[in-house]
Amino acid sequence: MLQKSKKNPVSAMAMTAFALLLALAPVATSVYTVHVISVAMISYLCVLSVYVLLGLCGQNSFAQAGLWGVGAYLAGNILLKTGGGTLTAFVVAIAGTALLAFVLGFAFFRLKQYYFTFASIGLMTILNGVFMNWEPFSGGAVGMKNIPTFTFFGWQATTEQSKFYIVLVVCIVATVLIGLLFRSSLGRAFMAIRDNEMTADSMGINSLLTKSIAFAISGALCGAAGALHASLSGYLSYQSFTYNQSTIYLIMIMIGGTISPAGALIGTCVITILQEGFRSLQDYMQLIYGVGVILLMIFQPEGILGGGKALYERICERRKKAKAGSR
Amino acid sequence: MIVQLLVSGIAVGIVYGLIAMGMVLIFRAVGIMNFAQGDFLMFGGYFAYTFNQMLGLNIVLSLILASLCMGVIGVIFMRTSYWALRGAQAKAIIVSAMGASIVLKEGARLIWGSIPLSLDKVKEGSVTVAGATIQWQYVAIIGIALLLMLLVYLLLEKTFVGNILQATAQDQYMSSLVGIPVIVSIGLTFFLSAALTGICGGLLAPIFFLSNTMGATAGSKAFAAIVIGGFGSVPGAIIGGLIVGLVEQFGGAYISSTYQLVLIYVVLIAFLMFRPRGLFKEKIQEKA
Repeated sequence: MLQKSKKNPVSAMAMTAFALLLALAPVATSVYTVHVISVAMISYLCVLSVYVLLGLCGQNSFAQAGLWGVGAYLAGNILLKTGGGTLTAFVVAIAGTALLAFVLGFAFFRLKQYYFTFASIGLMTILNGVFMNWEPFSGGAVGMKNIPTFTFFGWQATTEQSKFYIVLVVCIVATVLIGLLFRSSLGRAFMAIRDNEMTADSMGINSLLTKSIAFAISGALCGAAGALHASLSGYLSYQSFTYNQSTIYLIMIMIGGTISPAGALIGTCVITILQEGFRSLQDYMQLIYGVGVILLMIFQPEGILGGGKALYERICERRKKAKAGSR
Repeated sequence: MIVQLLVSGIAVGIVYGLIAMGMVLIFRAVGIMNFAQGDFLMFGGYFAYTFNQMLGLNIVLSLILASLCMGVIGVIFMRTSYWALRGAQAKAIIVSAMGASIVLKEGARLIWGSIPLSLDKVKEGSVTVAGATIQWQYVAIIGIALLLMLLVYLLLEKTFVGNILQATAQDQYMSSLVGIPVIVSIGLTFFLSAALTGICGGLLAPIFFLSNTMGATAGSKAFAAIVIGGFGSVPGAIIGGLIVGLVEQFGGAYISSTYQLVLIYVVLIAFLMFRPRGLFKEKIQEKA
């Protein structure tokens, strides 16, 4: 599945339109919906981090929720214990998580493919155990309470709406940056590794370093998501940062499609809407969700985006044929 | 204390080894790690509970019936989450297995409820050896597990059916050319794997209690066992399982019971770092 790194105006325009539409959401909907969308946008950042690793670089990691937790606890510690501001917490969370991921990447990426995936499951379990038991850092089983909300230069974001806009801005910035990465030489190096690592090596790409950078970038995204989560919810518990959460991110990106950041967006939306929409069915919701995942994979193994793309190409081809026929 | 831990470590470890063996059988046959194997364990345990506690059957008979039921579930799983997707990328199959894992977990919760359940031990009571009290259940687990391993070994190495299974694992296309019905052969592998794991559920239930989330923990320990033992190697999976079980029991007693799972994964990552191919080489070579 080759994929050129050409500009894709349709997808960029659709995403801009979606962002604009989303920006209007607080005006039109209830506070609860606004909160749900904010939480979904944080998930989107984590799914985007899976996109960088899996979609661009071809590496399957189950440690994303753990990295998310690292970011969240770092931000929580800064805000609660050192009295630093939101910006400091944000920078520390992003830099700290990225650094951790980078260093671990160097160790873990000596393992290829499956072996890396297993190491990442191990990392996830270890991180979860640390969150649960290391009280000075994470508050142990009790968790962290009363984390202050976003504060910039004396202005405090108290309403759901203002928090929503802060999360939205971070998401947009992250998406634009990942879009730039897609077109950069680094992004092309990622894709070369994804398509054939041996060939990439022989073309002079240092695959170990490049993969570690990909892991660091995904770590930075997770760190940002974690910092947002800490300030948005004000409460951190080790139960949020589990292996199951990581699998949900993977399911989201696979349902959306791994070929572009739009896949991460679609996947997050679909799963969030499913989860919220079937909330009234309560007991059967998870069951339907599981069956839905299997069915989607059977009928759309490339994700919704991949399926849409195939459909679009087929229509184009048919049009071409029709034109050739009319001549 | 040490003898006690040794026996419980070996008993728990050999069960992890059996689960890991089930995973390895599937991995060798289709080249995919089964992310729902832990839930087979949970479901098997619930089947055993149904036969043993609800219908009042003998525990050994219930274990056998439960494993047969699980085999059928395994075949259904293979038809829906693997066979329908076999042309797609590996990650799509992994995600569909995760979907199946959710279905099994939620199905169990809806059918049997979310209160932890228990069932009869194979043999009640305990015996004192060299000053250590050893539960009969552990001894029974070790015996049954060894018997199952022997049976699987005989099936795979000494019978015609075993040859068919191994040929399919080696090369699906080639074996279809010599007249092996690949879907039957793969279905049989899933049957075998799910049946083995199902029995494990019934054996572990009196020790750990049945709950619909027990699959995830047991499954992750089986993963660790596979990686430690060497990818795709059956004896490796069993040795890996024993290592995991012993690390779990001794680490829990002497180092820290809260960091038990962490400890297993530290060992796992150490193995990945220093011996990434595991203790044993795989018999069937990695497929290109």
